[in-house]
Amino acid sequence: CFSCQHPARDATSAISSSWQLRPVPGLQVPLRLPSDRRPPVRRFACPASIAAASAAASPAVPPGPPLAPAGIARVYKPRLSPEAMKEFWRLSGIGPDHSRAKAADQQAEVPPEIKRLYQEALPPIVSQDYRDPIVESLHRAEMMRRRRVINIPEFHVGSILAVSVMDKHAPNKVNRFVGLCILRRHTGLFTTFTLRNMVDQVCVQIEYELYSPSIVSIQLLKLERRLDDNLLYLMDAPHSHCTIPFDMVPEPYSRNDPVPVNRERVRLNPPPWMCKWHLHGYQGIDLEHLYSYLSDKDVAKAIEFSKAYKRYDLLDQYLNRVPVPDADYAFKDIFIQHQELLQHQQQQQ
Amino acid sequence: ASAPALSSQLIVAMATAPHTWLRLVPSCRSYSKATRLYKIDYPWKDEPKPHWVRQFEARRVDADLTPENRDWLRQWRLQRVRDAVASSSEAAAAASPLKEPPAARPLWTPRVSQRCGLVGIKLGILPMWYRNGQKVHTTVVQIPDQRVLRWVPPEDLGNYASLREMRPYRLNQSFLPRWLTQQRWGLQLVGAVPADPANFTAQWCGIFKAAGLPPMRKISRFLVSPDAALQPGACLGLHHFRVGDCVDVVARTVNRGFQGVMERHLMEGGPAAHGSTKFHRKMGSAAGGGGPIYRGKRMPGVMGNRFRAARSLPVLRVNTKHRLLFIKGFTPGPPHSYCQIMDSWMLDVRRSLDANPPPMPTYFAEDAPEGGYPEDVYHPDLLPYDQPLELPD
Repeated sequence: CFSCQHPARDATSAISSSWQLRPVPGLQVPLRLPSDRRPPVRRFACPASIAAASAAASPAVPPGPPLAPAGIARVYKPRLSPEAMKEFWRLSGIGPDHSRAKAADQQAEVPPEIKRLYQEALPPIVSQDYRDPIVESLHRAEMMRRRRVINIPEFHVGSILAVSVMDKHAPNKVNRFVGLCILRRHTGLFTTFTLRNMVDQVCVQIEYELYSPSIVSIQLLKLERRLDDNLLYLMDAPHSHCTIPFDMVPEPYSRNDPVPVNRERVRLNPPPWMCKWHLHGYQGIDLEHLYSYLSDKDVAKAIEFSKAYKRYDLLDQYLNRVPVPDADYAFKDIFIQHQELLQHQQQQQ
Repeated sequence: ASAPALSSQLIVAMATAPHTWLRLVPSCRSYSKATRLYKIDYPWKDEPKPHWVRQFEARRVDADLTPENRDWLRQWRLQRVRDAVASSSEAAAAASPLKEPPAARPLWTPRVSQRCGLVGIKLGILPMWYRNGQKVHTTVVQIPDQRVLRWVPPEDLGNYASLREMRPYRLNQSFLPRWLTQQRWGLQLVGAVPADPANFTAQWCGIFKAAGLPPMRKISRFLVSPDAALQPGACLGLHHFRVGDCVDVVARTVNRGFQGVMERHLMEGGPAAHGSTKFHRKMGSAAGGGGPIYRGKRMPGVMGNRFRAARSLPVLRVNTKHRLLFIKGFTPGPPHSYCQIMDSWMLDVRRSLDANPPPMPTYFAEDAPEGGYPEDVYHPDLLPYDQPLELPD
């Protein structure tokens, strides 16, 4: 409330009178004018000021919420039943996930470790015109065939990996690189990941295709997760953050435990930077330290950008998410092939 | 459809070769060599033209039928479609052919034979690797159900109804295509994707009646030499192309909509700054010093949605389960668009086919190897995903 700083009330309760249908003299049917369709002026008022205003206007009438016009229920009443609305929200993937309490059979079908192991099994987030179920099933089948030859461990951005690729010019015909995974892109057989490390005081970033047959082995040295989807800001961070010894001993981890999250906040080097890191909503950067390098205008822009307004951008959420039924189908398909893979591995042993 | 009455003069004109009666006439006087102002002239240009055959028909609302009867009728229609498709399949053809087959299968004649092609549906892209570690992108094309519809011999090309209506892009070209003037090859009409007859007009269904086929959604035509002509009703299958054959894929490119000259013709536009007044993405001058703007001047317009061919792409893998061809490289068109696949016209491919002739005129069941085909047939240079890579030292 702009008068007494009380927390704002729900906007629907403060509807102005301009929504009433204004009958035009001479016409039997009340005409709906364009001005009637304009959204009402929202004045977020607190209970105290509403009570004061209503008391001042008509002291005889007991103070209460303002009455909505007669036609409002006809226009704004949802036409779907609550159950149908719930299903719609569940399928769209938008909004808080109230469907955690799912049916037991659906939860038991696909264990959560499948979703951690096969993150690239999800279909790509593109227009529906460019997606095909046969091609996606072929991608999944070829992914599982490749996993019979090589073991691809579960890893996330922030984990430390050791990758050996075939190199005809190397002495042992194998080139081993250890690095921090800073990026993981694309889906299916196109999946790539980027490792970053310091080699002879030189920063090196190598992008590998996960399903390339020239990869001899992928070894997970440390399973960890960071606060961001990518760690590209390490390019403008001190080199100590991405210096990993090549003879690092792999740390043991358990598949059943949740992935540990490294909540460290990185202090970037002074500008100039490769990118405007303050505009991408990174949580893994020390923001106070970052803002100390920026002007007031840039800081305001960064704060504006980091607001959680994207939560209300329904189209953005719809376009940038995989539909829940497609994701379920993909993971079920992968789960069946995962069990076949385990049988194949047992037979080989 | 009832055709308009034609004079005897016209009949005589039509019976001769098209390059005798089909003329490109200058539409106006011009002294410049750069002008290409032509108009098509043919004897029956001013006669009332036959209306086009409409393919799709709006669904009739049969208010007299109950929903159960409507569903029963639809199932009966679809069952007849399935029976028609099954009776013309290669299995049925092996047992009881649809029509009188040719006495002997034609032989592959070098520098003469050109086989029919296949209609395909482009699905997407799958990456694969060669045995030397090199990556290759393969286009996944599905071969739907298709049958041969009609054969138009080279002598009848001029009379063929579809060629009488000249396409507008011929106005930009100052010569006729060689397949029309030389008349070495005929037209083979192929229908693909049989569907419910209720979706189509009676005219469209009538096109398939002569061949005894159910109506199909797509009709394509291929330029085929007379020795490789197929009879109506013949079945075209996945194994018409073998792993290792090089093909040409013709399809309509992705429609990019109305685009400006910088996107469409890669013109440079103007400077973004330095005092440029409203000249950033424009064409600039259209013609020189009072002259006319000649036909074909590059201007903004709809970009894409044109037929283009990707030439000489090898078939790297064949999947029998989903009826897929894995063609190396990229083909024009968006996913789920039709494409024509045919033996490549490139000379080196034709010479290699002389040494290793493909099944002529098409693949029949008797060509199948003993034991049938496995689910996946790979090119020998291609590395399947369940095999490890072994590089030579």
